[in-house]
Amino acid sequence: MGRYAIRRLLQLVPVVLGTTFIINYMVWQLPGDPFAGRCGQRPCPDAYVTAMREQFGLDQPLLVQYGNFLKNLVTGNLGVDFNSVSVASLLGDAWPITIRLALMAVIFEAVIGIGAGVLSGLKRGGFIDNVVTISTLFLLSLPIFVTGYLLQWLLGVQLGIITPTVTDEATVPELIVPALVLASLNMAFTARLTRTSIVENLRSDYVRTAVAKGLSNRRVVAIHLLRNSLIPVLTFLGTEVGSLMSGAIITEGIFNIHGIGGLLWRAILDQDYTVVVPVATLLVLVYLLANLLVDLLYGVLDPRIRYE
Amino acid sequence: MSDPTATQDLIKGADEPAASPVAVRNGQRGLWSDTWDILKRRKIFWISLVMLIVFLLMAAFPSLFTHKDPEYATLAKSMELPSADAWFGYDLQGRDVYARAVYGARTSIIVGVLATLATVILGGLTGVLAAYFGRWLDAVISRVGEMFLGLPYVLGAIIILGTVAPAQSNPGKATIMAVVIIVLALLGWPILMRIARSAVIQAKHQDYVQAARALGAGPLRIIFKHLLPNSLAPILVYSTITIGSYIGAEATLSLLGIGLRSPVISWGIAIADHASYIRTAPHAMFFPAGFLSLCVLTFVMLGEAVRDALDPKLR
Amino acid sequence: MTEVLSEQMGSGSHAGALLEVDNLHVEFRTRAGVAKAVNGVTYSVDAGETLAVLGESGSGKSVTAQTIMGILDMPPGKIAGGEIRFRGVDLLKLPEDQRRKIRGEGISMVFQDALSALNPVFPVGWQIAEMFRMHRGTSRGEAKKKAIELMDRVRIPAAKERVNDFPHQFSGGMRQRIMIAMAIALDPEILIADEPTTALDVTVQAQIMGLLAELQRDSNMGLILITHDLGVVADVADKIAVMYGGRIVENAPVYDLYKNPAHPYSKGLLESIPRVDHKGHELYAIKGLPPNLLEMPTGCAFHPRCPYRRDNCVTDAPPLYTISGTRGSACHYWREVIDDGEH
Repeated sequence: MGRYAIRRLLQLVPVVLGTTFIINYMVWQLPGDPFAGRCGQRPCPDAYVTAMREQFGLDQPLLVQYGNFLKNLVTGNLGVDFNSVSVASLLGDAWPITIRLALMAVIFEAVIGIGAGVLSGLKRGGFIDNVVTISTLFLLSLPIFVTGYLLQWLLGVQLGIITPTVTDEATVPELIVPALVLASLNMAFTARLTRTSIVENLRSDYVRTAVAKGLSNRRVVAIHLLRNSLIPVLTFLGTEVGSLMSGAIITEGIFNIHGIGGLLWRAILDQDYTVVVPVATLLVLVYLLANLLVDLLYGVLDPRIRYE
Repeated sequence: MSDPTATQDLIKGADEPAASPVAVRNGQRGLWSDTWDILKRRKIFWISLVMLIVFLLMAAFPSLFTHKDPEYATLAKSMELPSADAWFGYDLQGRDVYARAVYGARTSIIVGVLATLATVILGGLTGVLAAYFGRWLDAVISRVGEMFLGLPYVLGAIIILGTVAPAQSNPGKATIMAVVIIVLALLGWPILMRIARSAVIQAKHQDYVQAARALGAGPLRIIFKHLLPNSLAPILVYSTITIGSYIGAEATLSLLGIGLRSPVISWGIAIADHASYIRTAPHAMFFPAGFLSLCVLTFVMLGEAVRDALDPKLR
Repeated sequence: MTEVLSEQMGSGSHAGALLEVDNLHVEFRTRAGVAKAVNGVTYSVDAGETLAVLGESGSGKSVTAQTIMGILDMPPGKIAGGEIRFRGVDLLKLPEDQRRKIRGEGISMVFQDALSALNPVFPVGWQIAEMFRMHRGTSRGEAKKKAIELMDRVRIPAAKERVNDFPHQFSGGMRQRIMIAMAIALDPEILIADEPTTALDVTVQAQIMGLLAELQRDSNMGLILITHDLGVVADVADKIAVMYGGRIVENAPVYDLYKNPAHPYSKGLLESIPRVDHKGHELYAIKGLPPNLLEMPTGCAFHPRCPYRRDNCVTDAPPLYTISGTRGSACHYWREVIDDGEH
């Protein structure tokens, strides 16, 4: 297990390098002037552009730039934005809020998604199953921003149950609706995955054995059936934690939440690439690490998986 | 959980007597005719098919659905609420919301379909190549795919589009559509590559493929004649659903200001333009959002209907 | 046994055998029509007795067993008639919670494929111990001790060390032993073994059959052995019921059937066993296919494949003719079949 974890960690290295390289390359090297819009509507004076290129090392060869980026990343030097505010301090302010939001979203996904999936899988073709199938179909078809604006308008503007935008503190009650919006898509996926998994396992021989052992219905379902059915579901939830963070870009934008996503949203609109690159890198790292953890967790959940 | 039927639900039944007579009868027929048999009995298939036809007609002949000019603006009517005169009301510029929603279908569907097509070609090709030749080519393609998958979708699109076509820039209509399509395909291909790759790897070890190879069939013939048809079913299902999600993704990018932009008429732009006026003129945003959601729903439903028909064991 | 059960079924107070299946009918409703899987099956087992139920897949032998256990999938399955009496009480009329207590305590079952029948994510010892914990309220520690004893009893080497291993870590034979240990944990009066050796190597098959026979002798269980392999049952069974198309076509003491079958189908089965003294002869195979349960042949279900067929076989379904007190055959021409055997 320990050796496997190390090997997976090592395998992660090229992926991290490749992904961060892609980010760097795309932001700095693709056609298009990274400093356009720095000087209002008019193009920037050449002197300014040259100075900026020098400041951010764009005059150096590609690989040297990338090497510098890596060096800074490892030493924890995330640089400053175009207004000379330290990116690390921006991140420090935004990070806790996004973590809170993502955690709440994961809890909603797990509780509501698994609950709905189990209920509909156990009574296939029943009333609850139909309700879950249809409502997840709609959830899957609603882009997250439509859900977001709809709830903001309905609950915030029309009914006045919530405030349409979240305050700087971003307290837990304030984040309930944004977290539901952020979770909506994965919630629907979780419910469907759980249902499929339950339906498959219901037909399995070991469930029949459990019934033949004279166990109560509740025990057959809660111990034998669920334990097996939830393995793929938990894996999915874990994998999605990482993409949830970047999915927060839209949600945080709609509800004006000052988290990582909001930071990135504003940085992109302002074309502040010195913020975009480290934040994007961080999100990618979280995403990849979450995947690794899920991989290792999988072995704990399913004894049939052997690590060599 | 107290009723007795629940227990019975839990138990795998005696399979052979129920299943075998049916299986024997269907065994001779092809996958596709079987699929069609199941499909034509499903309500969800017919509903989504009708919706698809409506949307396709809307994209091809928008004038069938409205006589109004989507570009005609009467500023005096800016953000007027729905009335008998204009069912969906007027937008910020005083243009007819319904007419713009109808004309928006074309852009969204073109982007969705072309991006999916590009994804299928790129992903399918790399997947088949990786699976067929294996070894280092497989390793390289798989690793590169992982790197792109390591880039969460929205994030990746934001990074690329934010650079190539930043929010304040104003590229031409065709250019920006092409860029959006390429970006969507670039970020989406690894999933399709994996689907194609695993389908081909499965098929590769089938006896008939081994036999074809032993008889001296070249790689191209084996790939096109024997391997591609096998990966067709899963690719078809995935790409139908993908069209829907790409249409949603296009709108999301427009919302962020880095996707399509005026003068293109699209649902995403209409939503983005009116997101800040949600308190005063919700109709200008929610009607295009409704069209968008229905269109995505159409493709998701269609894809699911096809998948259920191809893999009936889960119903 | 719990008090409720022992009250209802005071042992020995009824006239019949320990377990009696009486004129059982089971159907499956499928999209293509109603499949009649079991059509009036009657058999019985007493304590200490071994009944072998023989038949091809689709003959209804497993469905009957699942109906006895109460683990039939309903729907699509439906019990269309008949009784299953355990100590004189009709199980089919018992409420579900009482029925459940009989599973494992009174009647228990060993399945064909132990790898899929055991839960993959729990240690084998835990799965055996669960019987004691759930039925008897035994503490975890005590139940585990009993699980190890049981694993010893079914001769799993180093039971104490292996009690926490998972099913996939055992060989096929060892897994089936664990399945058996679990089934006999609560000393059931009836053990149903559904093709217990089909998935195993030939050498292991004999060991498992030996183990089952030994356990049955030791605890005086009634054993129902379901199989499609005549060769397997010869040494262990007391009597045989041969099933075809959801019916019993012949029942007989094992010796009688081997010596001289009274139904063309049993005769065909016997002749298709490879035998050393038949070396050089062509191996016999019953011609044709098992019946389609959705469209059963008229009259005798076996008539399309039967070498003894006459016109009335196509129109009249034969009853189970009594040959002697313990023998019956569902063939209009059973005398002929028997006579053919005596030469």
